[in-house]
Amino acid sequence: MRYKVIHRTRYSCHDPVSVGHNQAWLEFRQVDRQSVESFSLVISPEPSVRTRRIDAFGNPVHMFSFNEGYQHLDVTSAIVVKIDEVGISSAGSTRTQQELVDSLRYSSNPFCQNATEYRFRSPRIHWTPEIRAYAAGSLSAFRPLLQNVVELTKRIHADFVYDNRATTVNTPVTDVFRLRRGVCQDFAHLQIAMLRSHGIPCRYVSGYLRTIPPVGQPRLVGADASHAWLSVYLGSGEWVDLDPTNNRICSQDHITLAWGRDYGDVPPLTGVFIGGGQHQLTVSVDVQPL
Amino acid sequence: MSSGTSSAQRTEPIFSCPPAVYNEVYGFDGQPRTHWHKFLQVFRGIGSEDFARRNLQADRMLRENGVNYHSVNPGGEGARPWRLDLFPMLISAAEWSQAEAALAQRAQLLNLVIADIYGPRQLVQEGLLPAELLFANPEFQRSFCDLGRPGELPMFLYAAELARAANGQFFVMADRSEAPAGPGFALENRIVSSRSLPSVYKQVPVERLASFFVRLQNALRKKTARPTDSPRIVLLSSGPRHPYYFEDVYLARYLGYTMVEGGDLAVRSDTVYMKTLSGLVQVDIVLSRCAESGLDPLELGGYSEHGVPGILNAMRCGNVTIVNTPGCGIVGAPVFMPFLPKICERLLGQSLQLPSIPTWWCGDLQSLSQVLERLDELVIKPAFQKSGGEEIIVSDLTADQKAACIARVKAEPWAWVAQEKISRSGIPVWSESGIRCGHVAIRAFLVEDERRWHLMPGALIRIAPDTGPMQLSVAAGDSSKDLWVLADRRVDVVSLLTPQDQPAELKRTGALFPSRVADNLFWLGRSLDRCDFLARLVRALAERLSGEGSFDMQEVRFLARLLSEQGQLEPGFVLDGMESQLPSLAEALPTAVFDPGEFGGLARTVRDLTRLASLVRDWISPDTWHRINVTAESFWTTPNREWRDLSDVVSSTGILVGDIASVSGLIADGMNRGPSWRFMEIGRSIERTAATARLLITADLRKGNATPQLLKTLVEVLDVRMTYRFRYRENLQRNAVLDLAITDETNPRSLAYQLDRLVQHTDRLPGYTTQPLRSPEMRLVMEATHAVRMLTAEDLANAGLKTVTLALKTVEDAVLKLSEALTNKYLVHSGVPRQFMESAEGST
Repeated sequence: MRYKVIHRTRYSCHDPVSVGHNQAWLEFRQVDRQSVESFSLVISPEPSVRTRRIDAFGNPVHMFSFNEGYQHLDVTSAIVVKIDEVGISSAGSTRTQQELVDSLRYSSNPFCQNATEYRFRSPRIHWTPEIRAYAAGSLSAFRPLLQNVVELTKRIHADFVYDNRATTVNTPVTDVFRLRRGVCQDFAHLQIAMLRSHGIPCRYVSGYLRTIPPVGQPRLVGADASHAWLSVYLGSGEWVDLDPTNNRICSQDHITLAWGRDYGDVPPLTGVFIGGGQHQLTVSVDVQPL
Repeated sequence: MSSGTSSAQRTEPIFSCPPAVYNEVYGFDGQPRTHWHKFLQVFRGIGSEDFARRNLQADRMLRENGVNYHSVNPGGEGARPWRLDLFPMLISAAEWSQAEAALAQRAQLLNLVIADIYGPRQLVQEGLLPAELLFANPEFQRSFCDLGRPGELPMFLYAAELARAANGQFFVMADRSEAPAGPGFALENRIVSSRSLPSVYKQVPVERLASFFVRLQNALRKKTARPTDSPRIVLLSSGPRHPYYFEDVYLARYLGYTMVEGGDLAVRSDTVYMKTLSGLVQVDIVLSRCAESGLDPLELGGYSEHGVPGILNAMRCGNVTIVNTPGCGIVGAPVFMPFLPKICERLLGQSLQLPSIPTWWCGDLQSLSQVLERLDELVIKPAFQKSGGEEIIVSDLTADQKAACIARVKAEPWAWVAQEKISRSGIPVWSESGIRCGHVAIRAFLVEDERRWHLMPGALIRIAPDTGPMQLSVAAGDSSKDLWVLADRRVDVVSLLTPQDQPAELKRTGALFPSRVADNLFWLGRSLDRCDFLARLVRALAERLSGEGSFDMQEVRFLARLLSEQGQLEPGFVLDGMESQLPSLAEALPTAVFDPGEFGGLARTVRDLTRLASLVRDWISPDTWHRINVTAESFWTTPNREWRDLSDVVSSTGILVGDIASVSGLIADGMNRGPSWRFMEIGRSIERTAATARLLITADLRKGNATPQLLKTLVEVLDVRMTYRFRYRENLQRNAVLDLAITDETNPRSLAYQLDRLVQHTDRLPGYTTQPLRSPEMRLVMEATHAVRMLTAEDLANAGLKTVTLALKTVEDAVLKLSEALTNKYLVHSGVPRQFMESAEGST
């Protein structure tokens, strides 16, 4: 599949912002199954200074700041990307959970070290005994791990309600579990917490999802949103992406932007500013199949 | 470690140690160790009474120097005085230089470990560090990866907590790699102990500390990212609420660096600037005294007093140097200790010279089973926290607690370490009940220069009452001691001053003037005058209530109303039927006056005075600063705290008025007429003008209202008794009092005089001369001046005082607006930083 993705963020303030520093994780990272054909990031007004670097998780991050005041900030990324079908190796789909957990102990193999980074609590990933117990219902040690996590994904999808008013960007995972409600970011965090509480490494993935309009209706431009899901380690350097919000294994409809331990590592756009008074953030995303 | 016998006189030891504890002073045979001979000889000459007196004197010196720390515990209130026991700890130069070699090796090793953790992570790949030590570690911040310049090592200052085991061997109890606290306290201890024991200090050859700080200054200068001969260095502080704020101020002044908080710095185009009254000035080196996790709200989140959004990227771009490089703090956690010996072999090809306290990481299965076997002999600690946090002494636990502890460790074994208990060496400690044995914790400081580490020839000693595990913070323990390193040669005297015979470049202005300093000086000026004004009002009221002399209700009501307007008294006292309230007012006044909780009250203002003075300590003379501290000290300590009555109020406020006058005298005589003086004077004039205007409005001197008693009170609180009597004898008239208070330009307490000074100061504010027309600030001052100058003799004698009252209200209004305008223009450069994050809404 080929897509053109346009992600536009507009930040409007009542009073001028005197200074602002920003970071954007809006450029697609290098992923095997994805190839980027073109990328642009347009910022208006023109920042006083902008730089690009690769963060500690391998994601490109754009940093820009303003010395002069502004009232409206527009950040627009445009990208054309091609995505290939992915398969899961037979080893990856048959390895039991116990085999995986054992392989992570005291190993100096580089795959294992890489996965270890995503195995523990992180600033936004916490769990309670209840969260751990919920997950235990699907995680039998001697079944293939893949089967376990697919089942867990299915249960989360069934037991939790998508509700974009129930939570905010800072709602803790433990509250999401109690409320049984949230958005994609919350469900991704929740499943990550469940799996890590059993020693299974998983990453938070930020990206986009192609939306398919109901039969007979045209595709609405700009009605999409940025999306989030998780990536679970299957062993031997292999990861599988799962989307608990939509109950499926990610494939050509999911476009990966960046990943980290949780949302806090890879927010699409974040900033610190002084002044501004009342402010409003509007985001529009358009994922157009080419 | 042999103890001498031949030359030493056989005398009784002055203290004894518990068994299995290394005695710092005496050997096994009860004879003093060789390096103590000379000291003990001189010391015996002093006598214990004299020594006790000197200890008290040292306490007072520390109090008056404002040496304190804030309680680290959340429940603790306010500043606590620093405690020093004058009896020093001695160590021979030979032993200390051995320690230097071992500590230098350790610092070098830790430096390589930090660089590897935030760089290639070779140690993890080779299996020398378990990956959990980074990835399960909440202190491991991804933003610190690849932050330093290539080839530069991250750590510049390092401190080690040392203890001496029963066999005399040093152990490292903890590593301090993130902005180590304590060198300033060590220096202050040295200054006080050398002054308190001058004869001893002169007769025993003690290594001076100054060489260490000279080295630090020279080495830090070389860290500049920009090629310049005189890099601009600032000391970044977490502000007055931080436990070791005193030390920040102290070090900044001693080393000659401008002290800043996060709000004083700004990042523009990936370059760090300091906000000064004359604009932004580039900063080359930031000596951080703060938690690295709060340095940059942009990348690390959160909000802290020392946070500067964008500073990490400025460092990445090579435009500023932060020392220690953010990230150094990670190796301060005990979890790294068990891995150091092997890493040392691998990276340095040497064996580790100085052992760490025996430590086991529970994340290793084998270690965990060893730990569980002999749990009762160990201390359990969180693996990734710097020492000083939670500590579980297993032998103190009940069976249930122990089971819970084991469960916690087994649930997340990688998050715990276990450590051996070590009994610290013993040393004599002075207390009111006599000499006893205290246990020694040594904090040793090192600085890196040209890739070599140098140990401070001295250290900070903390004393614990028992040998058990001790909190390792600078403020832990009962008291502190100075460490004297005994030189085996003549001691060179080093000073931080530049060499003689080198003509200085002549200047009229000094260092840069940060906006925040101007702000604090402005408020210091206001508080000084407010203190004086409140003290006079309170004294006048207390004198009347205590029944000395005659008074009428009108003056009492006037004073009480003024005090309630200022926030010193409950408004309930000034309602009608006040006569019946007098006894309760007499009872309430002493409590209210000494209660720092009364917002706007005298006690609160006195506290503000010391707080503000400590904020601008670099900008006022040491005598002024000292005088302000003594003023506050005497206000708090006289008379007894428990039972204060009106006579105490009268005497305390009397002393306070005198003390404030002497502070004013020091400022008037000694302070250079630069911007710092000007901002302070503006603050004082604004406060005095507003207070006088308010006083006269409240007095309401319309005809029939102005009794002779009320006029007498006014003359008293306005402090113009002398002048009045000289001019008019005992003839108290409204217009004469009003003239003195408002229009008499020769009376420094009059509105006309103060407004005239405000005109002069406003005229000389930075940036003012470039304006073609009058600035808004100047227009406010002129509006007030005009209202006062246009008053006529008839206005002052008018029965209804309509014009006068109008003028007073104009003055009060204008100066309060002026205060606001100055704050906005010069003093507050920025608001609080805010954050936003775009979320993933998701699609279904």
